[in-house]
Amino acid sequence: MNVALLTRVWRFASTRLVIVTLATLVWGWLLLFFYSQFSEAIRQLANQSPIFKQFTNFGSGNLFTVSGAITLGTQHPLLIALIGIFAVGGAALAIAGERQAGTLEVLLARPIRRSSYLLTQLVAIVAIVALLVAALLSGMAIGVVTQGLTAELDLARFPLMWLNGVLLWAAFTSFSLAVSASFDRPGPAIGLSLAFLLANYFLEILGSFWTDAQWTQEYSLFNHFQPSEILAGKADPLDFVLLVLVFLVPLAYALWVFQRRDLAAPA
Amino acid sequence: MEAEGSPGGSPAIQTERLTKHYGAVQALNALSLEVRNGEIFGFLGPNGAGKSTTIRTLLGYLHATSGSASVLGLDVAADSVQIRRRTGYLPGGIALYGSLSGEDALDYLADLQGQPAVRREELCERLQLSGHDLRRRIRDYSRGMRQKLGVIQALQHDPELAILDEPTEGLDPLMQHAFYGILEDMKAAGRTIFFSSHVLPEVERICDRVAIIRAGELMALQTVDDLLARRKRKITLRWRGAAPDLSFVPGLTDLQVRGDRATATLAGEVGPFVRAVASPALEDLTIEPASLEEAFLEFYADGEGPVVRTRESSTGDSAAKLP
Repeated sequence: MNVALLTRVWRFASTRLVIVTLATLVWGWLLLFFYSQFSEAIRQLANQSPIFKQFTNFGSGNLFTVSGAITLGTQHPLLIALIGIFAVGGAALAIAGERQAGTLEVLLARPIRRSSYLLTQLVAIVAIVALLVAALLSGMAIGVVTQGLTAELDLARFPLMWLNGVLLWAAFTSFSLAVSASFDRPGPAIGLSLAFLLANYFLEILGSFWTDAQWTQEYSLFNHFQPSEILAGKADPLDFVLLVLVFLVPLAYALWVFQRRDLAAPA
Repeated sequence: MEAEGSPGGSPAIQTERLTKHYGAVQALNALSLEVRNGEIFGFLGPNGAGKSTTIRTLLGYLHATSGSASVLGLDVAADSVQIRRRTGYLPGGIALYGSLSGEDALDYLADLQGQPAVRREELCERLQLSGHDLRRRIRDYSRGMRQKLGVIQALQHDPELAILDEPTEGLDPLMQHAFYGILEDMKAAGRTIFFSSHVLPEVERICDRVAIIRAGELMALQTVDDLLARRKRKITLRWRGAAPDLSFVPGLTDLQVRGDRATATLAGEVGPFVRAVASPALEDLTIEPASLEEAFLEFYADGEGPVVRTRESSTGDSAAKLP
């Protein structure tokens, strides 16, 4: 790993990172505030309309329990977009973007191994993702405390939830980085990375809205990040193992392909 | 400071039958050349000849299909990181982070290099890049200023070997002159410079030896003097009275005689020709100076140009035709 490169990646991302971290923190708090203020009203509405009730089950979350609200917050499109900026966009541009810009040329003229370059980018982005998930859960913890909801869940389980969330996003980061290492242009790298994220998201959400399609959730990485189960003390170790595997396989491929591929002169 | 010697006194750069294919396209074909320590070596060829492919293979961006290459005595495939630690590279059409200031970019690249930028101040001064310029964002730089920054980032850590791809592109004549001075000083300090260029007068002016490649194959590897000596010169003669018979003069071809004037092409040494035509009746003699450009063009005049490596300049023991 290269410290100078790591520092530079963080410095480049610093302004965006501050904004997104604050947005994520506020989002976490807002969801718990919304739950404490409106969950009863939404429950009454849901009881009057089965179709509406179905739509209140978004992903694996809902607005009728604290843990359901927290799960909903972690799977909401807004949060996916916020964290995806770095985990998917940042990772997809890490190599292919620098290739097209021609800056990778100058960086790799230094005594840096390609594997070191790739791993440094991975560490930089996963650290950013870890910070964002921490900000989200911090916002939620603040919401739990300020809304007087501490009796309904055990905050001591938040660290495990954080780890689960980081593993989920690290898997997407690893995939995006592998795609980035395979292309010279950012377009295909971003396209494929985004397609992978959206496909997983679609499978998870489709199953939650449509009971006949619930089986599709089994094939989504999002299904392996279940805050409600962790908060209920029923975390499945297999979820963690699977996410670690999905993180490691693209990483191994990225290391293999990036070290072996030719880097022709940028067009 | 003297350049650190390469292990076993090996050449700065050596390629042995270096070959690179991109699918069916053959970018390099059995390229064998040697760049000696402490020389300024020009690498010539038109676009697509394989210059950049060679440079990129030497620096580990590309993997050779076959053959081998070493830089500073280190294998390009196995020791790429060590090679890059001891070299400075200026890519053709360099791209730098537009959001950074020139100074920040140089600091960043020096950090990545892991060596102090011992020559930065001197290089900035010689290339007239002021402190004010360095504090501006690179996106506001002109093409010439970017190129200056590219030169500085490649040389600021005082590398043993500088590999420069079209280094004077975008530099005005004054800065080109300053750049030549920098290269000459580097050579005097024992550094080696390997650079590709399209600007033949500059190659002629500063290079000790040149290699000319075409379609991935080495066409010539000679000292500049040798290359110029073998090039054909255009001559014009004028006599008082009718022109004499010149058919016996050695090395003269394309002879055309009109009254008291004759024009011809002269190959080889000038001395024997001058002695042969010297007479009291000879009123005027013009011999066009040999230029590398003409010599270069000779290699591209037809599709099957000669491969020439003199005893002095070849990597082998004697003059040889490449396979």
